[in-house]
Amino acid sequence: MKLLNSIKKDFNTMTWVLIPVAIAINVVIGQIVMVLKLPVYLDSVGTMLVGVICGPWAGALTGALANTIWGLAIDPNALPWWPVALLIGFVTGWCARGGLFRNTWKVLITGFLVALVAAAASAVVNMLLIGGITASGSSLITVYLLQTGRSMIDAVLTTNFLVEPVDKISTALLAFAIIRGLSVRYLARFPRPENAAVEKNDLVALIIGALVFVVYVILVGSFFNIMFLWVGLAVSAILVLAVVLISVLKKA
Amino acid sequence: MPEKLSFYIQRSSAFHSLNPLTKLGLVFAFIVIAYTSPFYWTATVIFGLGVLPLAFVGRVQREFLLAALRLLVPVTGFIFIMQSLFLPGGERELFHFWVFRVTVESVAQAYLTVSRIFVMISAFILFLLTTHPSALMTDLTRRGLPGTFAYVIISTLQIIPQMQSKAQTIIAAQRSRGMETGGSLANRVRALVPLVGPLVFGSLVEVEERAIAIEARGFTSRLKKTSLYEIADTRLDRGLRWFLLGLVVLSVAARVLAG
Repeated sequence: MKLLNSIKKDFNTMTWVLIPVAIAINVVIGQIVMVLKLPVYLDSVGTMLVGVICGPWAGALTGALANTIWGLAIDPNALPWWPVALLIGFVTGWCARGGLFRNTWKVLITGFLVALVAAAASAVVNMLLIGGITASGSSLITVYLLQTGRSMIDAVLTTNFLVEPVDKISTALLAFAIIRGLSVRYLARFPRPENAAVEKNDLVALIIGALVFVVYVILVGSFFNIMFLWVGLAVSAILVLAVVLISVLKKA
Repeated sequence: MPEKLSFYIQRSSAFHSLNPLTKLGLVFAFIVIAYTSPFYWTATVIFGLGVLPLAFVGRVQREFLLAALRLLVPVTGFIFIMQSLFLPGGERELFHFWVFRVTVESVAQAYLTVSRIFVMISAFILFLLTTHPSALMTDLTRRGLPGTFAYVIISTLQIIPQMQSKAQTIIAAQRSRGMETGGSLANRVRALVPLVGPLVFGSLVEVEERAIAIEARGFTSRLKKTSLYEIADTRLDRGLRWFLLGLVVLSVAARVLAG
């Protein structure tokens, strides 16, 4: 019952109207980025936006529908990846509910957590449906790693953990910039405006942000040796636990 | 109002007049069978004897082949070449050049993957070419999908082209004011904010007005809503759906039995 209420809370009329606009934002920013030839996708800004101001369930729905519609209208190759988009929206909303979308450093952490989840999920979809080597540019890294004698799953995971954080952290920062540009009066009409209440940078968030950077450097090390991948993931697991503990303690 | 974004081609054919759910069921049946069947050539057979002839039955063969050529062939071609070259393992060497070693096993595996992807994407293309999104949504709503989902999907298909043309206007406007969209990476990153800002804030402001507009039209009302369009669901449709379900079960069972 508690779960059902939490789902219901995410959806009011503003949410239902925001979702189509958010999906369009995903598509159009994705295309602007292509025009500018930036080395990222930034195609889930709208999903993250909904996740933050409407909640995790609305974010998840936005992600799943975004990929469905991208597949329906633009390129059917996007269809199989909907679980990844769903998780991006959900994790963003979940982090935001824990207060991790209130200043730049915390947003960095959110972006990183989303990246970890997205990397794992897209590795699963990739292995099940495509067999490891996809048609995107980052497959060149996978191929290189295969040549150095890695197994397919190692190579795919390493590639994803290298590529995703850059994209997802930039996406989260862009979504944060957009939210900061919206008025409090406007945000108040959505189900979870408190998630977007901006607070000052504090020391803890700064330190965690720095740690995220260290973890990412360790993950980059996995490009050279697979051991780094597991070390990096272990450290990030500890990091996630620490963040959750801190936010629980702060609430208590 | 800009044209709605979709692949749909209006023709009259036996395949067009099937119920949207039947066609969607056909797509998923093809995909599940292609991925679960234990036989190597299943996906190829499904494409050759299922998807391709159905494109002719639906009289969309030209559009189907063009869409497949544009969306599918580059992707699958790339995947096929990369996987043939780089999939590890394999005993029997086909040929090698420079540092690459192509084995019979890697080519066979690459072909299997690519034929499955081909079935998955081409079945969806066929579905999208012959089914209007509104028809699908009307039918699913009649079967109990909440109307809000139909609203989200249909209005997204309308909003995307509007926002794309708005984005074009903004890009042109900012360029005419001297913004560089080329050059160094730093330059291009700096161009992102003046492009994205006006676009996003402009469309988010509209959200509030639209919410009031649809509230005024009974969007959140719980009463049963009637539809202007009737979507036919014949006995043939129902029969076909059961038949497809049977095929899927058989295919999954064959997979389980074959280990």
